[in-house]
Amino acid sequence: MSETSLAIEIRGLRKVYGSGKSQVVAVDGLDLEVRRGEIFGLLGPNGAGKTTTVEVCEGLTEPTDGDVVVLGQRWNGGDALALRQRIGVSLQETRFFEKLTVREVLGVFRSFYRESRSVAECLDLLSLHEKANARTRDLSGGQRQRLAVACALIGHPELLFLDEPTTGLDPQSRRQLWEVFLRFRDDGGTILLTTHYMDEAAQLCERIGIVDHGKRIALGTPEELVATLGADHVVEVDIQGSDHGLTEADLQRLPGVSGVRLEAEAVSLSVSAPHLTIPPLLAGLARRGLALEGLRTRHVSLEDVFVGLTGRHLRDGGA
Amino acid sequence: MLRPRTLWQLSLAQLREFWRSREAVVWSYAFPVLMAVVLGLAFGRRGPLPPSRVVVVASAQAASLRAALQGVPALEVRVLDGDAAQQAYAEGRAELLLSGSPTAPALRVDPLRPESELAQRRVADALQRGAGREDPLAIAIEEPAGGAHGYVERLIPGLIGLNLLGAGLWGVGFNLVDMRAKHLLRRLVVAPMGRAEFLLALLLSRLGLVVINSCLILLFGIFTFDLTVQGAWPLLFGVFALSGAVFSGLGLAVASRPRTIEGVSGVMNLAMLPQWLLCGSFFDVSNFPAYFQPLVQLLPLTHVNAALRGVILDGHGIVGIGWELAYLVGFTLLSFFLALRFFRWT
Repeated sequence: MSETSLAIEIRGLRKVYGSGKSQVVAVDGLDLEVRRGEIFGLLGPNGAGKTTTVEVCEGLTEPTDGDVVVLGQRWNGGDALALRQRIGVSLQETRFFEKLTVREVLGVFRSFYRESRSVAECLDLLSLHEKANARTRDLSGGQRQRLAVACALIGHPELLFLDEPTTGLDPQSRRQLWEVFLRFRDDGGTILLTTHYMDEAAQLCERIGIVDHGKRIALGTPEELVATLGADHVVEVDIQGSDHGLTEADLQRLPGVSGVRLEAEAVSLSVSAPHLTIPPLLAGLARRGLALEGLRTRHVSLEDVFVGLTGRHLRDGGA
Repeated sequence: MLRPRTLWQLSLAQLREFWRSREAVVWSYAFPVLMAVVLGLAFGRRGPLPPSRVVVVASAQAASLRAALQGVPALEVRVLDGDAAQQAYAEGRAELLLSGSPTAPALRVDPLRPESELAQRRVADALQRGAGREDPLAIAIEEPAGGAHGYVERLIPGLIGLNLLGAGLWGVGFNLVDMRAKHLLRRLVVAPMGRAEFLLALLLSRLGLVVINSCLILLFGIFTFDLTVQGAWPLLFGVFALSGAVFSGLGLAVASRPRTIEGVSGVMNLAMLPQWLLCGSFFDVSNFPAYFQPLVQLLPLTHVNAALRGVILDGHGIVGIGWELAYLVGFTLLSFFLALRFFRWT
């Protein structure tokens, strides 16, 4: 991969907060490349180091160690303001001047850029026309997030940083923002996106890096990551009572099973062909006199990839 | 790099934030005027000193004592019986008790009450002259001409100075830390905008506000206490704006690091308190001991007050207050440089 085809290049990034006993390692030797023209998703539970990584890339946080090159430039070498002209940022939590209107806030941000979209264009792009004269403190969470994205897009950036841009939004607002992101990508822009929503990552991202405890634990296209499980489907069975006595070995012997996850009252199997696995599974349960409370089958998701890699769900948090 | 469009938009944003905050506007403008009213009432221009109330204790000599004080200006003489006389004196309804006779008068005064001391001087003087005292010297007493400034005339520029100090320091410093604490600065720092642009915009946005603020107090002085501005108005506006810049610059420097309102409040009080006390807003700076003077001269409010009084009261031109202006320009540049050097966004 040549230097110019990369929008972001991260080598051995380490970020440590505090010192002594209160030291917290937020990012622990991370390597990552984001190619120009792609939407790259950084996936992980809360506290995995996603936001710190993005903030280092945005030039907001100094790394403890490692090398970060953004659009061919390092933050500490050269003209930082010139680099800022080329990027757009939507922080995890964006505050605005509270008593200014949406239109006025966009006017302020517009004045920072050499070349910029007009305020009207931004209002159109993010469907904010109705709220153009509303003060920012009166905006809903979704409208505020749309304004944050509008501010990020107003300077015609080459690279967009979106840190959990749809957290807490209703499905309609999320889809509306996804459309804006995809259009930006289609126009040749690059996006580094962090999220803990699987569907968002699957829907938007060409490639995904999964991070946990400050380290990258997987990297690839959504399809490649799902393929690492060796199965296309998940069969989930709920069993009455907490002592079902099933072992992993019992379940592995069933036809087409490539992965087993046992919980007290549930069993989750990664399978290639549910129609081959389910009949012997049910027969086995009946032989043991176990009562079935529920049975579900679904396609495998990135969530399953994460659970397979870490043994935890994404929304369980970092612990 | 300072871009006019960015400076204008950022200053405008600050102004809008201020004007749309009703509480901030009311307190910024009502408080200084209220302070001027209260201090004006307390220390305002007074008439001549009130007459001294003298009680003559009833006796055979009382009538002749009363006659001896007859026609003496600034004395109010009554004759009361012994008990009533004592009571009037004890309750403060009389400044002096007079007994004895015109040839051997006895005065009772309270040395701790200045008005009692004044009554003693007036009564003793009248009795001595009545008894035939001749004064060896003829002393000419001159009433002050129009040029001398009463307390309130000197107080109004001092109040303007204090108000400029508060408006600049709190207006800019508090605002800046508030934006930092609420993470607004985090969003601004990732935009292509330099800290010089941001800090200068913050400073500029205060200038218009403090000029209006200062004019309000000045107009109050003009209409209520007949204050007249001796110097040129444009120069006076210039001094208002420069003073606003000095204290806004100081506000920027003071607020360049703190992350919390509590933190900046402490530093801000440290910057304000000595200036409140030592810079001649209420009393002339020459009243402070010599060892205080270097500190007094170091504080910018001393020079702001001197420049304001120079223009308003003494009619000085730009040359007359040249040293003060130069000091204030230097102080502004220094604080702005320090703010730039130590400022943190997050």
